[in-house]
Amino acid sequence: MRTFFILLVKELRAFFLSPVAWVVLALFMVITGQSFSLSIGLLREKPSDFSIVRWTFFPQWFWYYYFFLFPLITMRLFAEEQRQGTLESLLTAPVRTWQVLLAKYGSAVIFYCVLWLPALLYFGLLHWVMRGDVEIPLGALGGSYLILFATGLFHLALGCLASALTRNQIIAAILGYALILLHFLAGTFLMYLSQDNPDRLRPLLDQAVTMRHMDYFTLGLIDTRPLAYYFSGAVLILLITHQVLEYRRWKA
Amino acid sequence: MIDVQNLTKRFSGRTAVNGISFQVQPGEIVGFLGPNGAGKSTTMRMLTGYLPPTSGSAAINGHDVFNDSLKARREIGYMPENVPLYEDMRVAEYLSFRAALKGVKIREVRSSVDRAVEYCGLGEVKKKMIGTLSKGFRQRVGLADALVHRPRLLILDEPTNGLDPNQIRAVRGLITQLAGEHTILLSTHILSEVQLNCRRVIIINKGEIRADNTPDALAGSLQSSGTVTVELDAVPVQVEEKLQALAHVRRLSFSEVGGGWHRYEMRVEPGEEVRLAISELAKAQNWPLRELTQHTATLEDVFVELTQRD
Repeated sequence: MRTFFILLVKELRAFFLSPVAWVVLALFMVITGQSFSLSIGLLREKPSDFSIVRWTFFPQWFWYYYFFLFPLITMRLFAEEQRQGTLESLLTAPVRTWQVLLAKYGSAVIFYCVLWLPALLYFGLLHWVMRGDVEIPLGALGGSYLILFATGLFHLALGCLASALTRNQIIAAILGYALILLHFLAGTFLMYLSQDNPDRLRPLLDQAVTMRHMDYFTLGLIDTRPLAYYFSGAVLILLITHQVLEYRRWKA
Repeated sequence: MIDVQNLTKRFSGRTAVNGISFQVQPGEIVGFLGPNGAGKSTTMRMLTGYLPPTSGSAAINGHDVFNDSLKARREIGYMPENVPLYEDMRVAEYLSFRAALKGVKIREVRSSVDRAVEYCGLGEVKKKMIGTLSKGFRQRVGLADALVHRPRLLILDEPTNGLDPNQIRAVRGLITQLAGEHTILLSTHILSEVQLNCRRVIIINKGEIRADNTPDALAGSLQSSGTVTVELDAVPVQVEEKLQALAHVRRLSFSEVGGGWHRYEMRVEPGEEVRLAISELAKAQNWPLRELTQHTATLEDVFVELTQRD
């Protein structure tokens, strides 16, 4: 446990001492801030089926930037260690491979969570300025955060896997992006198929279609099946990543 | 301290290390010598648990490097080839991280780092980014990293690789200082380094151990230890037969060096003294003589002989 925390602190420092992290954080605040401001404008114009939470977190352009986030966070994790050769000094210290993996993954998850925190401030600020006249649905807010967290865990795991597969950060980023997009498009494809045959594909849809999950959760509908799907998916991908890192141990 | 039994490593069809066995006793300084690609780094990577052996076993202080890897690794301070370091960390920060990672108690991290910094002469760059350091300093940071947790065994893979002569001397001095406290296994292809530092040399080539002895004994055991050179002002027709006739002389070759002088080189049986007989012969025959030398083989001769034989 001690070893894990030493590694985690080191990884977190690496995140927050690098300019990339702050650039990502700043860009991300611009994007969410812009979404927030636009959603206020939108709701002032005319009534909407969706709440302010929904419009802030999932505007139409959400899917354009959301998937870029993960490769940016994870591409460095293992690729850089392999390029510099530091993986050798790291893994010849008395540490277990899973400790290294979980520390790196954990630091990525923490950074990802930090990215979403400022948005809370927006809602708090709005509430304070409007003296409670604006309805901020807490269920929807909680649901949004939960699904963002769950999908984040899964996508970050995919990013880790991509980073462990190569020593080049750019390749890691592109590969991670491709894996994440592939998963998303497979879900979208299912949705498209289901238009002709809704009943048979419905159970599958509820399981694996990210877009659909987002819809439910932002309404405040919390379904444990997608959560189980993302959590177990993340565990599976991390196990594969562990095997990739240990590959040198069993290749003959 | 180190017990290696029949250690073998194969990489997809190529055998990098082929069934080597050796032991290192506590307090020994052993030089691991061989040309590039001989299997030195692979052996060290197996000892430090980075690569698993294909077959055979290795143990550090009784802990198997594969089955009891964590315990084995705790005993080792390892400096990998080319010294990989985190470019974006400061020296002291990096060493603190490494010390904590290798099990130094949080309260003692600072003093351990200070000690390693002082030992390796890193005081002036303590607060610098590792990425900005010169090669010599990087090498010293690597060494400080290896010994920061006071391991009983130091495994150093080419610690002086790529340094200039002054830096090599500095690192060599450091290693000599470390000798008292630690058992050291160091690899190199710089021969003078081994000759100065190590009390024992293991020469490895193509994955096999070719020799394992003290540097002096190795040099002494070599055939070429009995080469005698003599320069005479006499033509080979007169000289050749008479020199050949002397006891213990085996093979004779000669060359003209100008002005009537000829240089004769002969192999003599190891441990035999023929110089007296030669000088007496020259005196008796009235051959002017201006040089008479017996060569002792250097480690370099041993190295070349053992690694180029096939």
